Amino acid sequence: MTPILEVRDVRKSYGDFVAVGGVSMSVPPGSIFGLLGPNGAGKTSTIRMIMNITAPDSGEVLVFGHPRTGDDLRRIGYLPEERGLYRKMTVMDQLLFLGEIRGLKRAQLVPEVERWLARVELAPWAKKKIEELSKGMQQKVQLIGTVLHKPDLLILDEPFSGLDPLNQELFRELLQDYRTQGKSVVLSTHGMELAERMCDHICLISSGRAVLDGELRDIKRRVGGNSFRLLAEGDLERLKTMPEVEQATIQNGEVKLMLRPDADGAEALRQMVGFLKVREFRSEEPELEQIFMKAVRDAA
Amino acid sequence: MRLDSIFVVLKREYLSRVKNKGFWIATLAVPLFAAAVTILPTLLISKSHTSQTIVVVDATGQGVAEALKAQMAKTAAAKSKEAAAAPVRRPSGKGESRLADFTIETQTPGADPRVQRRDLDTRVRNGKGKVDAWMWLGPGVLKDEAAEYHARNTTNFITQETLRGDLSEVVRRVRLRQAGIDPARMEELTKRVELDAVQVPGTGTSGGGVAGLIFAVVLFFLLYMSILMWGQQVMTGVLEEKGTRVIEVLISAITPFELMMGKLLGICLVGMTQLAIWLGTVLVLTAPGIVATLAFLPAGVTMPSLTIGMTLNLAFLFILGFFAYATFYAAIGASFNNLQEAQQVASIAVVFIVAPVMVLNQIINDPSSTMAVAMSLFPLFTPLVMPLRIAIEMPPAWQLALAYVLTLSFVIGMIWVCARIYRVGILMYGKKPTLQEIWKWTRYA
Repeated sequence: MTPILEVRDVRKSYGDFVAVGGVSMSVPPGSIFGLLGPNGAGKTSTIRMIMNITAPDSGEVLVFGHPRTGDDLRRIGYLPEERGLYRKMTVMDQLLFLGEIRGLKRAQLVPEVERWLARVELAPWAKKKIEELSKGMQQKVQLIGTVLHKPDLLILDEPFSGLDPLNQELFRELLQDYRTQGKSVVLSTHGMELAERMCDHICLISSGRAVLDGELRDIKRRVGGNSFRLLAEGDLERLKTMPEVEQATIQNGEVKLMLRPDADGAEALRQMVGFLKVREFRSEEPELEQIFMKAVRDAA
Repeated sequence: MRLDSIFVVLKREYLSRVKNKGFWIATLAVPLFAAAVTILPTLLISKSHTSQTIVVVDATGQGVAEALKAQMAKTAAAKSKEAAAAPVRRPSGKGESRLADFTIETQTPGADPRVQRRDLDTRVRNGKGKVDAWMWLGPGVLKDEAAEYHARNTTNFITQETLRGDLSEVVRRVRLRQAGIDPARMEELTKRVELDAVQVPGTGTSGGGVAGLIFAVVLFFLLYMSILMWGQQVMTGVLEEKGTRVIEVLISAITPFELMMGKLLGICLVGMTQLAIWLGTVLVLTAPGIVATLAFLPAGVTMPSLTIGMTLNLAFLFILGFFAYATFYAAIGASFNNLQEAQQVASIAVVFIVAPVMVLNQIINDPSSTMAVAMSLFPLFTPLVMPLRIAIEMPPAWQLALAYVLTLSFVIGMIWVCARIYRVGILMYGKKPTLQEIWKWTRYA
């Protein structure tokens, strides 16, 4: 299956500063693809190159299996990190405008916009000017503007920042709907918990380089084959000094342990019993957060 | 390039401005203001007559006071007669509109001038018998002494001017008679020759004379205002899109060129709408019937009118003028981050647009002088100078054609260069670029 979006080793420098130092990724159809990384890792720079807002110094970007053309724009929905709407326009006019510049006809758009506004509970605000809306409401309007033309590829840069948990959930549902229709979503975020719940594919960027890339399930299996959950009493801090332990996150007497790939779990447990009162020790899927931290550390 | 995208942007730019109350206030304020400063004063003056009573003490012994009374009655009669029969050419510039009807009460000097003067002062002070002022005409008035004028109000220049004029006329006649010359004969012999300015048919478009000139200047300033105002609107519009970051959403849907062209065309259309309203007002106000009713024009002046050819020329020249400047404003708006930064560079455009204003008088006086022709062919001046020439005297066809070709080529060049600057600048944030950097952007592929 041809990927909906393919990024091949793109690089971008600003003077001496390398913003993106070789990122590749491949977004299959019907997937929610998370572009993850800490602040300043190069997520937005990568997205801006995908959108052709800035040109890469080298590398190439293929959309729908070919280099991007002007016509492809209408099949893509883009939510930039820095949001913006015309402040003096009404919600309705604004959304109609955003639909019309993508070639949709007004007659089809009006019921569509009304349906969306009702769905996100903004219907009473349709005739209000954007500047009268709260930030969260503006965010919702902007998201509607991004999906109104039913794009085959959605590119969302930090879509959930500024949304409360209720609205986050609402948009999570929307994106799931999107996936079931066989369309693809690329979203960037530094919220690992959110990405874990939503994404099926991820690309982890750190300092302008992709350090992990693939299906989330595979990655978990590959990277975190040696993850355990430990319930114990005693000197838990000492765990971190054990040679077998790659990472230990301690919280309320519960420890998330990631052992080195070559370490033996049973052997490690035997040593722990020596200085801890172990109540529970079991194999577990690692959390994305742990994988992320490990990958960033490994890359550095 | 998609025309439908350009059209959607055009529509937004146009409607968002035309639906704005401020647009209508500004659009209607200009004709209202123009009407207020031209028609109202004349209306007010003609409708609000006051009467003034002036006591004239005649110590000349030559009946000057009586003659003055007769003279003032005569000019007043001439004026009302003229008002009754509107388009009659007025006689030798006399009988200008008067602010008041004068009642002249004559007195001979009494036995004690001091008592008489005191009495007159008292009458003026008390307003008894409604005396507004009194005059003392000593014998020296017939030579070179001034006539005395005592009044409650000595800043009423118009009244004083009227009195001075009529008194001079009367005294002049007395002097002539004393010198043995018949005043009537003298007047006949020294009558001014009037100049009847008639435009040779087929040479110009306006009705000619003062009215044609005013018409040309009005057109000139309307164009000047529109190009400057709407050009700058383009710049603030672009800066707004950049400032609110709408631009990234737009650029993900349409190309920068489509966005720029849609914006330019939309705002150009707003300017044309406004100009059409203004010109429409001018047409209505100068329609013969209305002019006669309002009677705010001097008699005997035919109003110029807009011909179709002239209107078309104006429309095209406005479009070209708008694009010549607005493309520049778009590029500047795109290059900078805020109005303050942009304004400094934008003032370059103002220099060019103001230049024709500086030489307005010379061009009006001789619209086919070398300077006027040269300026009307220089693309940045054409949109302002050419309409002025057209309104005064139709330039030769080859000059008109050449001006169009030159300006159009210039505008196409501007669109090409500015679109390139716009495309790069619109997504550049942060540091204020130098002019060299901006110039470099034009050479990016």
